[in-house]
Amino acid sequence: MTNFKHIEENLKKEAKKLLEAGSVAVVLAYTEGMDEKHPQPFAAQSVADADKIIFNEYCNHNLARYIIRYAPGTKIALAVKAADSRAVVVLIQEEKIKREDLILLGIPADGMKNSKTDEIIDAKTTGGLANPVIYDILLGEEIHTGKPVSPYTVLEQYEKMDKDARFAFWKEQFDKCIRCYACRKACPMCYCDPCFIDQSKPRWAVKSPQSHGNLMYHLTRFQHLAGRCIDCGECTRACPVDIPLYLFHKFVAKECEEMFQQAAGMKIDDKPVMVDFRVEDSDKILE
Amino acid sequence: MSDSALKKIAIDKINDLAAALMQKGTLIAPVREEKGSNFREIKNPQDIYLDYDNTLLSPKNIFFPQMEDFVNYQLGKDATPAKPVELNLKPAFLFGVRPCDVRSFAIMDTHFYAVGIIDPYWKARRDATTIIGYAFDLSKPADPADFYNTLGIGAADPEGSDIFMVKKDKELLLKGITPQGEALLNGLTMLAAGNAADEKYFTEYVKKGKEPRTRMMCLDDKTIAKKYEQIFENTEYWTRMADGCLSCGICTFVCPTCYCFDICDEDIFRQGARRRIWDACMFTDFTLEASGHNPRTKVYQRLRQKVCHKYSFSVRKYDVISCVGCGRCTRSCPVNIDIYSIVSEAMKA
Repeated sequence: MTNFKHIEENLKKEAKKLLEAGSVAVVLAYTEGMDEKHPQPFAAQSVADADKIIFNEYCNHNLARYIIRYAPGTKIALAVKAADSRAVVVLIQEEKIKREDLILLGIPADGMKNSKTDEIIDAKTTGGLANPVIYDILLGEEIHTGKPVSPYTVLEQYEKMDKDARFAFWKEQFDKCIRCYACRKACPMCYCDPCFIDQSKPRWAVKSPQSHGNLMYHLTRFQHLAGRCIDCGECTRACPVDIPLYLFHKFVAKECEEMFQQAAGMKIDDKPVMVDFRVEDSDKILE
Repeated sequence: MSDSALKKIAIDKINDLAAALMQKGTLIAPVREEKGSNFREIKNPQDIYLDYDNTLLSPKNIFFPQMEDFVNYQLGKDATPAKPVELNLKPAFLFGVRPCDVRSFAIMDTHFYAVGIIDPYWKARRDATTIIGYAFDLSKPADPADFYNTLGIGAADPEGSDIFMVKKDKELLLKGITPQGEALLNGLTMLAAGNAADEKYFTEYVKKGKEPRTRMMCLDDKTIAKKYEQIFENTEYWTRMADGCLSCGICTFVCPTCYCFDICDEDIFRQGARRRIWDACMFTDFTLEASGHNPRTKVYQRLRQKVCHKYSFSVRKYDVISCVGCGRCTRSCPVNIDIYSIVSEAMKA
């Protein structure tokens, strides 16, 4: 079991050190919200702020989401769990940030929980990794217990559905959508400004929450995340009406991984699959 | 408030009551859904779920649907002139609304007709609807996100309801609050008359509901409104509050007193409509002007607008804080931003 208190202490200590030395302008971490069970993402900018940092099993929000809020060149330290670190890798690959502007405080963690449902967050809704894929300072012991679980096992029951059943399933899910856009706002990979759905010339889909507009929004977002989604599951946890967005993302990620033998955000030196071309690339999509 | 006689019904008999109301018109009541309960039109009385704390979405969509067509038209070679959409409302019964939500209707009335500009859609739906309020269960603790006591709302306040209900063991006590409510109660034959003990229970329950149950802080309308005028340009405070804010629209969509909307012409397959859709000040394009200029490009500016609108502008203009402390925004926020903490921090800023 992850020792959250130990990680919290280390996180505070490192944040304080970095802010004191002036090596970063901001440390992205968590602070207490309404209560311990509801932590908030937090930007510590002073040594005094560092004391307010907390870390517990409910700190699941993906902090990579906030990086692009700071001017290019800002020195940022951020607490990265496995999923956050993968998001950082994609942002570096896509040249949204530079590696040298970041100090990554790695957090190996398992047993993270969803504060709304108290469910353990595991390979069902996320990539299921426990250790960050890159970091500068590790704040706890790496976790090497338990067999690695495929993040795609959860898809099995859905893959059995035929095309019509699958479409009916998603239509029902998308009909619930109230277009609050929490999914794209919680997503560390959704940084477009403006997002296609906000454009008015042309307008790509109706603004009103109707089947066809909802379908247009979600399917386009799924496409835009092909080969980029790092499976943190934040979109699904953010959704107020419980649309299982992770299923679609996982499905696309699985296809990508099978075709290109590469999962998003695992290695900085990888080229993102959608901008790379190799002669030996799979032709499955054309068949 | 008149001293009408009290009625009662066993909770396991509410299907009969529901069936009678469905005969008279549309019945809207909380039903249990995947991620919490919501107010929905009842097709089957068994779906009514009264054991809820606060619904996920507020009941504002009963009077102010997320999407509403004003005018329909057909484009292309079969083009038709624009036809206004008729409302054709049946009487409606909004059953089991909590006191904080009932209070929100009065606040929304301010914007939708009480200040002189009448929104016919809101007004028509409001007029067609009988509100059947329902006290919170005082034997259970309040949800930790609730703070309606801060806004002066009691857990069993009957004000604003036409009929108010209180749970007594395995019975529901119903009291007519307005003449309309009373008349409705008198016409419902499946209800039994309450006795003196029931009357006493009801009165005491309402009184007990005034006791602090949720998060509380001392909040004076004028003081907080003034405070926000003073700290409007305190960027340090606002950026700190907005550190985690994702600038999505959940808080405004679940809010019972957020009423911003957009009117747009939309068409698909040549079927066109001019319709009203909820909009949110938390969206980036909310303030985007035709010139391309956007006066609120930063997250903190948008959060500031939302909070100040509720706690400052609304007080200055209409003498009312536009928040009922239902806690929905806090519960729904993906990053646990809590408006109660934002306001209490403002006092210290």
